[in-house]
Amino acid sequence: MKLAKNFNEGIRRLRRELDRLTVTQLVITIMVITIFLILPIFSILYKAFIYHGSPSLIYFRELLDNPLMFKYPPSLDIAVFVERYKFKVLSNGTRVLIPLKTLYIGGRGPDFGYVFNSLFVSSVVTLTASVLGLIAAFIMARYDFPGKGIFRVLLIIPLLATPFVNAYVIGKVLGPGGLLNFVLRDLLHLTDYTVVIVGLPAVILVQTLSYFPIVYLNVLASLINVDPTMEEQAENVGAHGLRLFRTITLPLIKPGLASGATLVFIFSLEDLGAPIGLSGAFGDGLHNRLMSFYVYDEFKKALTLEQVHASAYVISVIMLLIASIAFLSIKKYVSLRQYAMLSKGGRWRFRIRKLGIKGTLLAYCFLAPLVMVAALPQIGVLVLSLTDWATSGVFPTKLTVEWLSSLVTKADVTSAIKNSLTYSSLAILIIITVGTSAAYIAARRDIPGRDLIDLLVTIPIAIPGIIVAVGYLVLFGTVFSNSLMDPFINPGLLLIFSYSVRRLPFTTRTVFAGLQQTHVSLEEAALNLGASRARTFFTITIPLIAANIIGGALLSFVYAMSEVSTSLILGSRNPAQGPITFLMSQVIYASAAVGTVSIAAALGVLLMGLQVTAITLSNYILKQRVAFLGV
Amino acid sequence: MVGVKLVNVTKKFKDVVAVDHVTLEIKHGEFFTLLGPSGCGKTTTLRLIAGLEYPDEGRIYFDGQDVTDLPPYKRNTGMVFQNYALWPHMTVFDNIAYGLKVRRLPKDEIRKKVYEVLDLIKLKGLERRYPTQLSGGQQQRVALARALVIEPQVLLLDEPLSNLDAKLREEMRFEIKELQRKLKITTIYVTHDQAEAMVLADRIAVMNRGRIIQVGSPDEIYSSPTNEFVAQFIGITTLIEGKVRDLTDEGVALVESEDGLLIRARAINVTKGERVKVSVRPEHVIMSRTPLSGENVFKGEVEKVAYLGNITEYRVKLGKWILRVQNTGSRLFKEGEKVYLKLDPFNIVAVKLCEY
Repeated sequence: MKLAKNFNEGIRRLRRELDRLTVTQLVITIMVITIFLILPIFSILYKAFIYHGSPSLIYFRELLDNPLMFKYPPSLDIAVFVERYKFKVLSNGTRVLIPLKTLYIGGRGPDFGYVFNSLFVSSVVTLTASVLGLIAAFIMARYDFPGKGIFRVLLIIPLLATPFVNAYVIGKVLGPGGLLNFVLRDLLHLTDYTVVIVGLPAVILVQTLSYFPIVYLNVLASLINVDPTMEEQAENVGAHGLRLFRTITLPLIKPGLASGATLVFIFSLEDLGAPIGLSGAFGDGLHNRLMSFYVYDEFKKALTLEQVHASAYVISVIMLLIASIAFLSIKKYVSLRQYAMLSKGGRWRFRIRKLGIKGTLLAYCFLAPLVMVAALPQIGVLVLSLTDWATSGVFPTKLTVEWLSSLVTKADVTSAIKNSLTYSSLAILIIITVGTSAAYIAARRDIPGRDLIDLLVTIPIAIPGIIVAVGYLVLFGTVFSNSLMDPFINPGLLLIFSYSVRRLPFTTRTVFAGLQQTHVSLEEAALNLGASRARTFFTITIPLIAANIIGGALLSFVYAMSEVSTSLILGSRNPAQGPITFLMSQVIYASAAVGTVSIAAALGVLLMGLQVTAITLSNYILKQRVAFLGV
Repeated sequence: MVGVKLVNVTKKFKDVVAVDHVTLEIKHGEFFTLLGPSGCGKTTTLRLIAGLEYPDEGRIYFDGQDVTDLPPYKRNTGMVFQNYALWPHMTVFDNIAYGLKVRRLPKDEIRKKVYEVLDLIKLKGLERRYPTQLSGGQQQRVALARALVIEPQVLLLDEPLSNLDAKLREEMRFEIKELQRKLKITTIYVTHDQAEAMVLADRIAVMNRGRIIQVGSPDEIYSSPTNEFVAQFIGITTLIEGKVRDLTDEGVALVESEDGLLIRARAINVTKGERVKVSVRPEHVIMSRTPLSGENVFKGEVEKVAYLGNITEYRVKLGKWILRVQNTGSRLFKEGEKVYLKLDPFNIVAVKLCEY
């Protein structure tokens, strides 16, 4: 009796809540997410778990037996000293034997096989990025010292995405003929060994440098938002120093640290930029013995879906599983919504201590090398694009505008730029529609499943792009074979949707924040005056949150422009439809042979320019500094 | 213009009962006030009438028509929100014209009506301004104009004056009252300010914990509160707890306080033997240095004196109770002074205790 009454009450409520606007918004959101996120993921699961029409774990067993996937015993020769001798003809004609001593780091090991290599790299990168980010954030949040403003800017430079080229620059600097060896060996004569860092250590280095700012920004935001009276109260009862940090500060910033670290873990797991960029600098090696590269490579090699080895699907599932576990394990700390956008506006300004000379020097000792090394790739990209550095050896020898001008003169470059602009712009239209709809439902409507909608439009940030791309190939390559939606014929159309889904969280979260800051009574007043919900939405709600929509859309746009994973895997199906990042990967991967890396650098400069512009604009429009997360 | 009826209306938010079986009837053209402390459910009641919330139980009628399931935009109520809810992206004119545009009125009629209402609320000349360019009082008027211009069946006001400073608030009270008289519009006004309720309302409903405690004219509520909550919520009073020893046919109770004082007070719905509280308002106490004659005369001692300008307020110890007493003008008694007190037996009241 009571149950029936509750049921009827539920139906009545639902009928009230489901007006035309809400239904339309729900349908749009659910359709886009289902078709372009959920179904593709399920089709991968199908490929991985169905063997000859019935469920089976056979592909997983095969994988376990594959020594490339799981290497046992693992090679752990991290450092290898190699001595070779070479005859050199002196000016007087005598030949002398010159020793060529090289220290290879990461050339032969560590290597645990694809699966554990990825886990190893992601774990180490998460740890190192967290430590660096945490220390940097603490210094920046709690101390004042001369030059702080400069560090503030330098610390986020690594977030400017210049896929592949950044890794290439690191490779070039650390390579046998690079800057590091020049300084250590030729200039300072500290060693007569040539040091070469390749393999997993190189990947870890590149990724740590590009991702630590994510932790830095998240922790900084948390630190600034910690009510200083909490720490003051603790000091008041006698806690100070490390004890204060461990017992009060750290627990309070745990959500920021946890979300930052998890993002780093997932980004590292799915990263293609480092393995491809390092391959460009050193050729193939252990640095591309990673799950992400494996999947990418399998699909790159295959001409049709039938040629793709089932192991690629299994690896995809493993990656998805790892990412999901990482994501879910921190859910208790962080509500998902904190991910894509973090307001950096702190209300409290005190508790910033001025550092003395000793403290300032200590801060410099940590920050200066960090930002110098971390900003190196971006600076290197700029140098590459403006000079002949790609082919000149240790130092560039002359300035040139050849590479930058190729952005408008070279046909394949301009067409890639045009492709990227087209896909990203169209994706933004979808993102605005879906993002605003979903955020509005999550913030304003009282319907069952509201939290699920909220989750679905936020979770793409945690799903490796490779998974999305593979899912599209499987789903649309089979179901929509030989149609407009076939990724093997027309990947451009699908790229619009992959960008839409992958970059949706930026807009959703920004709009959601806008709705939370807008008092609901403004909308209620319109309803009260006789405006329907749809009319209220378009005449009151949208104008009030326009700044948030534009700000979020700008962020989505730049990160669509620099999107890597799906751009590469889908783009490679039809190079004529490839976007900027696809062209960059092609150029870099081949550059060991051809040396055209400078064009990729020019494209990298273009991307950096777009990002700086969009972020500045977005900050200006939203009138607050927004921590941005990319890749 | 309609009468509004709520029958057995209940609204829960999760486990909190915001409105608890409320039944009310508001008459045509009446100025009705919902009065109570914050969190008592008065705003929720108003929002239920506007359709911004839907009740879990009970029905709501406008002139006999069941509007319980009607969405807010089909109810034709005019609501003024506590924060005014003026749209910052629209001018004063556009804010006021919005409801008329929604109703698809012709352009020149919209203009005519907006200017009429601007005239009515004395804001002519400000129609091109944006809300942020207005003072708090002006914003309040615009919000009122926006609600009035659509000629609503019911005007709903949610603490409309609470964001104004004290002086302006008192002025606006009279303006709103005058406006309501002129337009003869059914008005439901939510406030926690008892003075505001007394000045404005034809009838007041005192609410606490989601329930209606008493409904009546300001005079009834003040002079004949039905229980201790109403007595202490409206005006200043001292409550003396005791037991009804005797009850006359004329309705005068003889109450013996906990510390043995025998007080005669007008009985309100109390029975012989019941535990009650005697509500003693300052103006119902005569204080004197010389002995007083008649009933209800006690001896007390002045404990504290506070000079407020127009009046002087005393806290006088009477048995174990601290009685609040006033006289107009400057202070007549000193701290520590022994005084005689006479409590007017026809004005002080013996009321029921609260159930909680």
